[in-house]
Amino acid sequence: MQPPPKPAEAPLGPGEIRSAHAAEYALDVGKSTKADVRARLGEAVVVDFESGYEVWVYRERAPEKEPAAKAELVLLFAPSGILAKTRVR
Amino acid sequence: MRIVLLGLLLLAGPVLGGSPADDAVVVTTLRNPVAKSYRKMVEGAKLFDEKRHLAPTAELRFKLLPRKEDVSLEGVRLKVEAESVAIPIKVAPDHTFALEVDRAALSKDARVIPNRKAGTMTWRADVRTPGLPPNVRRLGDLRLECEVGMKAGLISNYPRGFFGWLEGLFGSSPDYCHRAAPRYLFFAEQPLFGVTLVDGPRREVLSVDMLYGGAARDPDWKADRHCDCEALFDHAYFVPLGDTSWPDDARVELEYMDGAS
Repeated sequence: MQPPPKPAEAPLGPGEIRSAHAAEYALDVGKSTKADVRARLGEAVVVDFESGYEVWVYRERAPEKEPAAKAELVLLFAPSGILAKTRVR
Repeated sequence: MRIVLLGLLLLAGPVLGGSPADDAVVVTTLRNPVAKSYRKMVEGAKLFDEKRHLAPTAELRFKLLPRKEDVSLEGVRLKVEAESVAIPIKVAPDHTFALEVDRAALSKDARVIPNRKAGTMTWRADVRTPGLPPNVRRLGDLRLECEVGMKAGLISNYPRGFFGWLEGLFGSSPDYCHRAAPRYLFFAEQPLFGVTLVDGPRREVLSVDMLYGGAARDPDWKADRHCDCEALFDHAYFVPLGDTSWPDDARVELEYMDGAS
């Protein structure tokens, strides 16, 4: 008897990633552009400031039935559009 | 505290209650200036003395901050004003000032008035333990800043509901600061990238939700014209003030956008 197939995982939504650490590892501080990051991780939650700096936020999708805090990946883009800093929490 | 306050009253009365000195700063009267209650600010200073254990070596000052992008605080001037009372306050280059107690001003229910219009600047208590690096705050100092700020009525421009459902229970009293994560905004000296609490080997990076006035959870944050963080969103952060697992001596380390990681 075959176990029932797992339901297909829903696609990630805006600002969602599967692994914050894996996502951070795939980026290059000082090199990656906004377009690079968008291509790799999809749309982020963006907080843009008058100074030209932008903070992009991605959060891991919380496993079902686990209300624990989701890991977050925070990216800082300099006014030049280049990735300046990253942080995983 | 009563003895100290009485001493201040006796000392300050004859000095500050008389006519302004010849070299006193003249504050141009503005229509609709952003003013604060002198009495409430003095009550905030009194609370600071009562709760000195939170920051035993710190001094209390108050700080002026811009609320609009195009507002400069260069040349800002302050006075304590009421009927027949006009006392200039010296504002330091970092836009902080100390408040002295004046019996006449208290009896006349004076206001603290800057030469700036309402909505262009905001106020905070400023409690700093000496000797810390510029990018490090002490949690006890911030706890005291919150309590004094609430007591002094410095954050009265926040919209109803900003402080959450406990607002109805605590109003805008210092008790609000005892919540685990009160939405009392602090402002760093520079735009922020991260905030980390440190107590010995224990470190906790605060969620981005604690930065920028919670903008990462609020897609309409730019439309918020009530928050007094309007011009300082990138400097703003919350701290879990009421989380007693963090001692007053815990360090609040600020990582700036423009600086080493």
